Amino acid sequence: MSLTTPWRSRALTATLLTLVLGVSTACGDEGPGTSASGSIKIGLLASLSGTYQAVGTEIRDGFQLYLDTHDGKLGGRQVDLVVADEGNGAQTAVPAATKLLKQDRVSALTGIVGGGSVAGVTPLLNETKVPLVGSNGRPELKDVSRVWHTSYLSDEPGAAIAQHVRDNVRGSVYAIGPDYQGGWDELRGFTDAFGKIGGKLANADGKTTFTPFPATTNFTPYFARIKASGAAAVYTFYAGSAAVDFVKQYAQSEIKDIPLYAAGFLTEGGVLNAQGEAARDIYSVLNYSPDLDNAENRAFVAAWKAKHDGSPTTYALASYDAAAVLDRAIGAAGSDPTPEAINAAIGKLGQIASPRGTWQFSSTTHSPVQKWYLRQVRQDGRALSNTVVGDLATVGR
Amino acid sequence: MIAVAVGTNRIDPYLIPALDGVAYGLLVFVAASGLVVCFGVANILNLAHGTLYAIGGYTAAALLDGGWASLALALAVGVLAAAAAGVLLAGLLTPVAAGNHLTQALLTFGVALAGGSLLVAGFGPDDPQVRVPAALDGSVVVAGHRYAAYRLVFIAVAAVISAALYLVVRRTRAGMLVRAAVDDPEMVACLGVSPARIRAGVLAAAGALAGAAGVLGAPIIGPGTDTADTVLLLSLVVVVLGGLGSMAGTLLAALAIGEIQTLGVALLPSAAPFLLFAAMAAVLAVRARGLAARWGAT
Repeated sequence: MSLTTPWRSRALTATLLTLVLGVSTACGDEGPGTSASGSIKIGLLASLSGTYQAVGTEIRDGFQLYLDTHDGKLGGRQVDLVVADEGNGAQTAVPAATKLLKQDRVSALTGIVGGGSVAGVTPLLNETKVPLVGSNGRPELKDVSRVWHTSYLSDEPGAAIAQHVRDNVRGSVYAIGPDYQGGWDELRGFTDAFGKIGGKLANADGKTTFTPFPATTNFTPYFARIKASGAAAVYTFYAGSAAVDFVKQYAQSEIKDIPLYAAGFLTEGGVLNAQGEAARDIYSVLNYSPDLDNAENRAFVAAWKAKHDGSPTTYALASYDAAAVLDRAIGAAGSDPTPEAINAAIGKLGQIASPRGTWQFSSTTHSPVQKWYLRQVRQDGRALSNTVVGDLATVGR
Repeated sequence: MIAVAVGTNRIDPYLIPALDGVAYGLLVFVAASGLVVCFGVANILNLAHGTLYAIGGYTAAALLDGGWASLALALAVGVLAAAAAGVLLAGLLTPVAAGNHLTQALLTFGVALAGGSLLVAGFGPDDPQVRVPAALDGSVVVAGHRYAAYRLVFIAVAAVISAALYLVVRRTRAGMLVRAAVDDPEMVACLGVSPARIRAGVLAAAGALAGAAGVLGAPIIGPGTDTADTVLLLSLVVVVLGGLGSMAGTLLAALAIGEIQTLGVALLPSAAPFLLFAAMAAVLAVRARGLAARWGAT
């Protein structure tokens, strides 16, 4: 690191200088990642080990599924997919991304589970002028000129469900979530939107209760406070093992009859299996559900189930859509799809047909303007599954 | 109506957290007692202790199917597997001089990392579902509040285990040897008892306790990628708070941790992130000399 950092910052300065001087280097670019035979190199970075292994695997499989169902081609070109392990965060993600961008010289980067990893990789994108079509983590970014996301912004699920909760809950709502950046954003999205339309929080001081993360494994004391607050409903966001603990303990607590509303990650993917019966009837908001009724989704779910156990998650869907975005952008980038040309083409895509329904990139945040769905955990055959029970707001800015 | 209930009885909202604190504290006691015995008797700092608990937890997740027979089977398999892992650790530690804590810590930490990866490779990265016997998979009403039936039963079972542990240490020959080894290891060796055998026995017992805690505690601190770290951290806090000398000190420390983590959080939610460690710092500040003297003796 001590050797590469000064070099990198010098290179960054040089890149910025060239941009300021208005010299276009793209013209003289020899076209990294594309070869004469018409193939194209794409880099996929995802957590294939560590805490987020489950999400990272879904992201890899979602992208691979799109390739498998499209003859291994994106934009008419044979894809050479280079997969690298993101690990637990920026510390492992940045070296892996450096290898993809500088050694493998990929034409576009996709994946990336953690928001911190995205923040760490972004300077590299500007240095190498390669676009990122991210499929999960999306931190607060100042410069999104080469960053696109097929997922969502962290405050959007809460903003999308606020009106529904306001209309359906008679009384105040208790807001509780984990004490880290993701938790603050998710809960702020809900409480801001809920407050604006006249909703009232049941929390003692009118502010969201944040639980230490990841230290909290026992939620009983918080449930006692929720009971004492007289809340008519609870809104929450947890993911991973905290989501399992929260849901299982909630179902056996004295507030088990209080309706629970949540950002969809509370009951999404592997955690739902671990929660089992305890998750039944929980309402959640998400941009996708495997039972959405449209042609794209039926084809997507059928193709997924042919290769994997269980239904696809929103993580796999976002990665599948990232492949779809690259497919159209590379096709639109002309006979010489340089990274710069692909980046420009992504900005002109317009409406994108997807298993989640049609969506498009916001011109300011480069993340989707998309519809959100209200889902409830219900019996689906032998297993419990998130079932769509209604449409919520279309959110994006 | 709720406002009236709160108004008439200020203690009422804190009943369930206080009860849950006992359940949590007893679980921490059974989980940590192995580490305390290991550290206090065999003078081994075993940082793989949390992994032994995780072995029990994953065993429970794999074997429990909602019936009583599966619980008995999971308990037997979990205890045996964790005890075997303890003996394996003792074998690995044989070349390391007793009391060389840095080498022990490095070795056992490495084992913990490798063991954690093996568990994830074997059982997958997702938290597995733990199915308790159907009769316990609900809630019961305690003093007008709902409380998880499993946890209520767990309190009774963990109390029995704790009492049995106390009796074994106090009344049996094995317990006497263990206590003698704390007081004067040279004399015990002179009496013809091999220190290596005591060490293996103690690590096996520690593993069995952690395995039992892992199986029975799986519905409370469930198996997952960070379970081993959580349990190790709580156990180390028990060692700091309760010292190494007595079962009673360990039990008090564990119950205190349980109440701090539940009742304390219910009373002072804004202080939740540092409540446990603030308590630890306070105990160290007040009792530092006493603890140091005791450590010097062992």
